[in-house]
Amino acid sequence: MTHDYKKLGFMCGLEIHQRLATKEKLFCNCDASISDDRKVLSITRRQRAVAGELGEVDASTAFESKKGRFFIYNLFKRSSCLVDSDEEPPHSLNPEALEAALVISASLNAGVPDEIEVMRKSVVDGSDPGAFQRTMLVGFSGFIVADGKKIPVPSVFLEEESGGIVSSTQESVEYNLDRFAVPLIEIDTDPVIENPEQAKGVALQIGLMLRLTGMAQRGIGSIRQDVNVSIKGGARVEIKGFQELDVMDKIIESEVTRQLSLIKIRDELRARKAKVGKPTDVTSIFNGTKAKILSQQVAANGVVLGIRLHGFKGLVGREIATDMRLGTEISNYARMAGVKGIIHSDEDLDSYGIAGHELAQLSKALELGSNDAFILVAEERAKTERAAHLAAQRAEMAIEGVPTETRGVDSKRLGTRFLRPMPGGSRMYPETDVLPVSAKHLIKKVQSEKVDIYSSRRQLHEQIGNKQLAEQMLWSKELQLYRVVISKTKASPAVVASILLDKFRELSRNGVRTELISNETMIHVFSLYSKGRITKAGIGEILSGAPKGIEAVDMLIKEKGLGRISGAELKKLVQGFEGKDKASLMREIMLKHKYNVDGEELNMLIK
Amino acid sequence: MYSKEAESVLRSKGISVGEKIQLERGKESFEGILMPRPDTGDQGILVIKLSNGYNIGLDFKSVSSIKRVGSSAETFSFPKGKTHVRKGLKAVKLLYTGGTIGSKVDYATGGVYMLTKPEELLHEVPELADIANVEVEHLMSVASEDMTYTEWQTMARKAAGAFKSGAEGVVITHGTDTMHFSSAALSFMLQSLPGPVVLTGAQRSSDRGSSDAFMNLICSTHIAAHSGIAEVGTCMHSSSSDDYCAFIRGTKVRKLHTSARDAFRPVNGAPLAKVNAEGNIHHMGAYNKSDLGRKAVLKDEYEPKVALLYMYPNSDPTLINHYIDRGYKGIIVAATGLGHMPLSTSHKEYDWLQGLKDAVASDMVVGITSQCLFGRVSGTVYRYGRMMTDAGAIYCEDMTPETAYVKLGWLLGNHGRKEAEKLLATNLVGEITPRTEAEWRDEA
Repeated sequence: MTHDYKKLGFMCGLEIHQRLATKEKLFCNCDASISDDRKVLSITRRQRAVAGELGEVDASTAFESKKGRFFIYNLFKRSSCLVDSDEEPPHSLNPEALEAALVISASLNAGVPDEIEVMRKSVVDGSDPGAFQRTMLVGFSGFIVADGKKIPVPSVFLEEESGGIVSSTQESVEYNLDRFAVPLIEIDTDPVIENPEQAKGVALQIGLMLRLTGMAQRGIGSIRQDVNVSIKGGARVEIKGFQELDVMDKIIESEVTRQLSLIKIRDELRARKAKVGKPTDVTSIFNGTKAKILSQQVAANGVVLGIRLHGFKGLVGREIATDMRLGTEISNYARMAGVKGIIHSDEDLDSYGIAGHELAQLSKALELGSNDAFILVAEERAKTERAAHLAAQRAEMAIEGVPTETRGVDSKRLGTRFLRPMPGGSRMYPETDVLPVSAKHLIKKVQSEKVDIYSSRRQLHEQIGNKQLAEQMLWSKELQLYRVVISKTKASPAVVASILLDKFRELSRNGVRTELISNETMIHVFSLYSKGRITKAGIGEILSGAPKGIEAVDMLIKEKGLGRISGAELKKLVQGFEGKDKASLMREIMLKHKYNVDGEELNMLIK
Repeated sequence: MYSKEAESVLRSKGISVGEKIQLERGKESFEGILMPRPDTGDQGILVIKLSNGYNIGLDFKSVSSIKRVGSSAETFSFPKGKTHVRKGLKAVKLLYTGGTIGSKVDYATGGVYMLTKPEELLHEVPELADIANVEVEHLMSVASEDMTYTEWQTMARKAAGAFKSGAEGVVITHGTDTMHFSSAALSFMLQSLPGPVVLTGAQRSSDRGSSDAFMNLICSTHIAAHSGIAEVGTCMHSSSSDDYCAFIRGTKVRKLHTSARDAFRPVNGAPLAKVNAEGNIHHMGAYNKSDLGRKAVLKDEYEPKVALLYMYPNSDPTLINHYIDRGYKGIIVAATGLGHMPLSTSHKEYDWLQGLKDAVASDMVVGITSQCLFGRVSGTVYRYGRMMTDAGAIYCEDMTPETAYVKLGWLLGNHGRKEAEKLLATNLVGEITPRTEAEWRDEA
């Protein structure tokens, strides 16, 4: 721990999103199990900000609308329909999803409303073709215990998954609608988490609970963690897009470092009585400049705008977190207008090719003092004016301190990066196309089905026998698959666990996408194993071919010759090696038939 | 409305819908705004809007205590746009009649409100101010399924009046359910037009950022100001994408999908033009050219005693007696295939022939159209068609049942029975096309 979190007034809460493994989507009858579906149509749409509650368009809405982008939606054969493309009203709420959501609520010790009211939440980044997400509160006043600490869970929501982003440019964003509107559970905790390590622990505990319900969808992106972080004097920042928990603590730590640095910069700026000037057209200074980055823009009829940052000298280039400077933050704001970036005076201006006399003229034009910094933005006029305005805005925020933002996980830097201003609160109104849903008749049922982590853990230990393996299985994301395989086949729990843990890890390292192997395929493989048709080594070899379905498994066994040799057949094989000593017989047979012969059986035979 | 029991407790505590309340239920406590109860479901469930924006439903009976902790939120009002006249832009009159396009959600209560003031619409779509000098008039707030011929007359008179007072084009916002009836009616009522009359609406309400209302309005205003097409038509999305709208002749359009953006399609012809939000207009067929010197001729009489009768297996021929007895002046039959009614010889009780003859004998005009919608009817190909022709039925060429229905009422209102009979299958305003081009399927 590099910080004293208590002293810093660290506040942290989690928002966990988990896709549910239902047969159909939340409000239509499309296939919700994402597979390699066929794209059948693309449509192009525009969205606009509409007035919110008090006639105001909230910050996030206005921001996305300013970007003026259009959206491309790809529709798929089995997994998207007219409801997804916002061409047909929603069908009724998927009862399977509601029941699963209520079981999860109950497992979090949450109260359940007597009647579920479906809401529309405005979405303006285009990830929803209807420009709103359908969402509902399914649980309140719950809690979870992690590492002996009771963490309140004030709300549990059931909602539609957003569209899957394919690509994004300044002009357009493309989304796939195959996984769009799959049921998604959101679990929010109170901001009582005391340090990054604990945040990770709570996330793990909630993940485990979700997998124990058996309703969590497998695969990449099926669970996502958002973290809200702030420190005293800082601001609430929402960090989006944690997929793997391994580095969660490191990234939260980096965010705290960033906020601390920004607070320090704020104090210095205030002491220096810092001010941000107005964007000034300085294009004429750079007519005939050798700085390529500027000359190209000037030649293309663009403009160069400069902003004086009074009292900012040395601070724009100061590192605020690993590989992140105040200049980076300012640049990211400017880029929202579509420019490639900014130049600032704490950079090595020589390397851009900006000449001394140009700097002198610039200094005069912007009336720069000895403690001042400046920013340059150069591109076509409208874009540059917008960018300069945004850059100036961000510079002014530095005098205020830490801006409230939505930030993304930057796993390369193990830090966070700016995504967009934080959405405002006035974005919710009733979904009038569907009726409220009574939950009264389900309340008893879900109480009886709720997850008990302690008894599940004990059961797993007994089943697998090996405590270490059982603990690993418990916390693994393949826990659900393990439970399905155990319930559907007679395969030994220890073998299933070791394949799902060790073999899967090895295969993943070799680039095999194990998450694409379906439950049905795995059940088939283990059932062949339990019937003595293949060996444990054979299972690994089959899975390394990442089979898509039962037929593919049978094909692999045939093609690679992976059928098990046992009983009379094995006896015959041993007879062929007559005269050899036991050790070399064992070695030679296993060398030749390592996937076909079970070592234990062979051992018994020749003992 | 909440149940009587719940209402009386709420009243005794001085609580009204919209006010902030606090509830206790067991160990749980809730604070939020009491929302109106939807008309459906258990009326004893209190709907509370929590501070996080979500609504939840709690059984009134399970609540141990309830009290009022604050007064109601500010009442909702629309932001208003400014209307200002800009030189060099054409004058377009926008008549607002109701429907999805003009409704908005109050985000605080979830109630749906109709726009009532012109400025509100301009605030929603400020782009209109760059296309034309749009003058908005609130004509009525009528759901399109409630429209009658009297609303058609009001629209026709207002549109004619708008041209008279200097408008170069007219846009009418309208609910979509019966927009194709209104567009047909206006096509007949407004003749010799100096400029375009464009009906438009929305399939998605404008509370959502994905609404088609904005682009439909923008494209319609482009058509009204700049197309030079002096006809009545509808202007709505031409595909699921926000790329083009199609301006379709008012007598040749039909709503052909319950919910999709491109529900309005041309039947037996191509659109008059396609237009995008940037104002690029692509003319696609022959049309009447605008001429501001021309004076619109208003022929707005209408005979409402006309029926539209759908043919189907097992349909009861005595139904027609109802119309005869009630003194109806005309019937348009949405017949099967090429234009047939059941004239069964083996099941006498399902034979419509006598009824048809009786209707004609009662001085009704009977027109035959096809429920196929696409294609032309013919009274000569099959025996039944010839029998119906002999009985006095008039085959209505390639008109949709809806257009023929509107036309017959209009003919009877303005021209009398004899003339109506003569003109029903004669093209007057583009409602009948003498030839159907080979690529009729290719609407694009």
